[in-house]
Amino acid sequence: MDNEPVIQISNLTKIYRDFWGRKKVRALNSLSLEIKKGEIFGLLGPNGSGKTTTLKLLLGLLFPSEGDIKVLGQPASNVEKNERIGYLPEESYLYRFLNAEETLDFYGRLFKMPAKERRERAAELIEKVGLGHAKRRQLKEYSKGMTRRIGLAQALINNPDLVMLDEPTSGLDPLGTDDMKRMILELKEQGKTVLMCSHLLADVQDVCDRIAILYGGELKVMGRVEDLLKEQDETQIMTSRLSDEAIKEIEQVVAKHNGKVGTIDHPTATLESLFLKTVQESKDRPGQRFVPDTEEKKASE
Amino acid sequence: MSFDPIPYDLLGAFKYFLVVFGSAMLIAVVVCLIVGTLTRGAKGFTGVFRGIFDFFVQITHVSCRRIWSLTVLTIREALRQKILFVFIIFAVLFMFAGWFLSGAADRPDLQVQSYIDFVLKAISWLVIPIMLLLACWSLPEDIKKRTIHTVVTKPAYRIEIVMGRMLGFTLLGSAILVVMGTIGYIWINRQVPETAQYKLVSKVPVYGEIVFTDREGALTKTGLNVGDIWDFRSYIEGATKARAIYKFTGIDESDAIDDKLVLESSFEAFRTHKGNMEKGGILYQFIFVNEDKNLRVPSRPLINKEYSDNVLEVKRKLKYDNPEGKGEGDAGTEIDIFDDVVDKDGNLTVEVQCLEAGQLLGMARPDLFVRTPDRAFLAGYSKAVFGIWLPMVLVIMLGVTISCFVKGPVAILTTLTIVLVGFMSKEYMTEILSGQMQASGAIEAWYRLITHMNSQTALPDGPVKFIIEIVDAGIINFLWLCQQVIPNFGIFSNMREYVIKGFDVSWNAALLPGIITTAAYILPCLIVSFYSLKLRELEAK
Repeated sequence: MDNEPVIQISNLTKIYRDFWGRKKVRALNSLSLEIKKGEIFGLLGPNGSGKTTTLKLLLGLLFPSEGDIKVLGQPASNVEKNERIGYLPEESYLYRFLNAEETLDFYGRLFKMPAKERRERAAELIEKVGLGHAKRRQLKEYSKGMTRRIGLAQALINNPDLVMLDEPTSGLDPLGTDDMKRMILELKEQGKTVLMCSHLLADVQDVCDRIAILYGGELKVMGRVEDLLKEQDETQIMTSRLSDEAIKEIEQVVAKHNGKVGTIDHPTATLESLFLKTVQESKDRPGQRFVPDTEEKKASE
Repeated sequence: MSFDPIPYDLLGAFKYFLVVFGSAMLIAVVVCLIVGTLTRGAKGFTGVFRGIFDFFVQITHVSCRRIWSLTVLTIREALRQKILFVFIIFAVLFMFAGWFLSGAADRPDLQVQSYIDFVLKAISWLVIPIMLLLACWSLPEDIKKRTIHTVVTKPAYRIEIVMGRMLGFTLLGSAILVVMGTIGYIWINRQVPETAQYKLVSKVPVYGEIVFTDREGALTKTGLNVGDIWDFRSYIEGATKARAIYKFTGIDESDAIDDKLVLESSFEAFRTHKGNMEKGGILYQFIFVNEDKNLRVPSRPLINKEYSDNVLEVKRKLKYDNPEGKGEGDAGTEIDIFDDVVDKDGNLTVEVQCLEAGQLLGMARPDLFVRTPDRAFLAGYSKAVFGIWLPMVLVIMLGVTISCFVKGPVAILTTLTIVLVGFMSKEYMTEILSGQMQASGAIEAWYRLITHMNSQTALPDGPVKFIIEIVDAGIINFLWLCQQVIPNFGIFSNMREYVIKGFDVSWNAALLPGIITTAAYILPCLIVSFYSLKLRELEAK
């Protein structure tokens, strides 16, 4: 990771006003943060906390009431900076009368990409987001998950240095979510900077290097994910399955060192991992029912 | 013929544009500077100049490729919204139009006129409203559905979005216009009977200037007024020295048709007595004059058939004693009409004289012209279709511009109002503002109405009069502003009139003003739409 700041926000305030200029909502209040090159930064917060407003201010869709924004070293209102930015909006605001190929071709043209490069890049991205089978269907026939996928493809058409994703996993099934997270991590591997807004905390935790939590338009917490989540006063040891005697012995050792055992249990998998495993098994062994690794299965074996 | 093709004053129009556009820009900058300084201090003041600079930066850095991609998007969008259904309406109209339009079998010229009129009106009434709706609806819909977010977050200038929309609708409208125009042309040719096909021409007239002489032979600017409210024509008295003198310039032998000089006239008669009705019209005579050679060659007496065109074909070589040359002069002398009557500078002077005592003949500048070799009907018809294209482009530009700052339905209503006022009330406004039409202010008229005060009585002095005058002055100034800003759509309908009357569309009197009027709105529309989108948050909650 480089220390070069890609996004610099200082004292950013956004006040929404009504037609007569009267203050309606203070959506952001003196927000200051910096995002470095090559990191995945998560902007978290409940609905109405100012995540999307921040993103739109960075993109120049909204004008700041106070404060300064620099994106890739340029003011947010500068159009040229968009050459190096990819943006996936909260809902994929795409032209529903176009098909996937036409959509990517259109956005590619806006970057003045040569025809050959445009075609190749579009084909590559369509395959990458798994829409090869539906590339000639108009977007109005797409499911929400498919629309998110083509939305991500259009955000990546210019091979951007900075990718801004607004609720990237919203509307996606666990498979899609997994793909999306994988692609976000791939972007990081390619040295790109990712800024994502989400309120799906598990997704953010899986991919983000650093996060900021907003509440009521104010920055409440910011830091590295592992630093923020690390429980400094506890120790966790993961082992293979142990007998009851072995567990008793461990408890004695812990007591000898003035420790206290909290819980001893068999860890449970997440529903997401069970789902993904089931789908993978179904693909590998079509027609067969998948039996998960439960106590009953082990007993019957 | 009731229209007068007056040559366009290009330089005058350009000066007028500079004055109106320049002062509008100056006022806008001053207002912005004041508002900017009051609201944001020095930052606001410099921001105005930065904004002006931004426009020039963007307009000089627009990318044709990006504009083209937005153009293609616009066309695709319209096509997939089933815009081409308009052809179904068009087809239905044409399938049954023949039933309703065939009628005046005894007047094939009127029949041809009604066919051409129908086709051109049908095309313009279908194409222009549809393009107005599309132009006003697309950008607000883009903003409402937030699809514009994925465009403005790419390296696309907002001015390019506007230009792409304008160009897209223009190309789409042009394609529709070409198809409809072609179908219309074929339909007219098939509909017009064989016997009236000769009417499908584009006459190329050369108009002159007109002066009059009174009954004593003294030069005057106008002839007699017979009490007609419509003072388009002036009258000359029969069997006196009253003449209408037409002076044509730039005449040479290339203007001859089959080696003949062709004069076409449509004078109006005013009778003080019944006269000899069996003749079919009032007698009159042309006198060809070349003062350099002291030559006055009269034509034979002619009968003025009203409500139709009177054509006189003068053979190039003529003798005074033949039927065309019979009258004054040296009998038996042969003259060449282009060498002897037309002077060395190409000027041709034709005097018109009414021959019947007690009868008057009315005429205006366009009532007599030299008919030069005709062009194909297609030439005039194509120009008339081009005359639909120009207002279509103007409507698209206005629609897209207005839709940059208001929502779709409001944009439609605003654009429609501008178009209707531009079509119907522009000249009315000009007459009021120039003082040609006597009119009191709206509030004064309303006050007189409710107090039953006639228009001759002066308003009583006092605060009421003061308030009325102040408010009326404001209304008049607003009217002046509208008159300056709203385009004169009436210019474009003139082109249709030419073709309906069998003329080629004049470049100088019709095409050029139409093109210049349309072109004059390009820059103001781009400026207004640029700042409307630039100063607008596309994601305001």
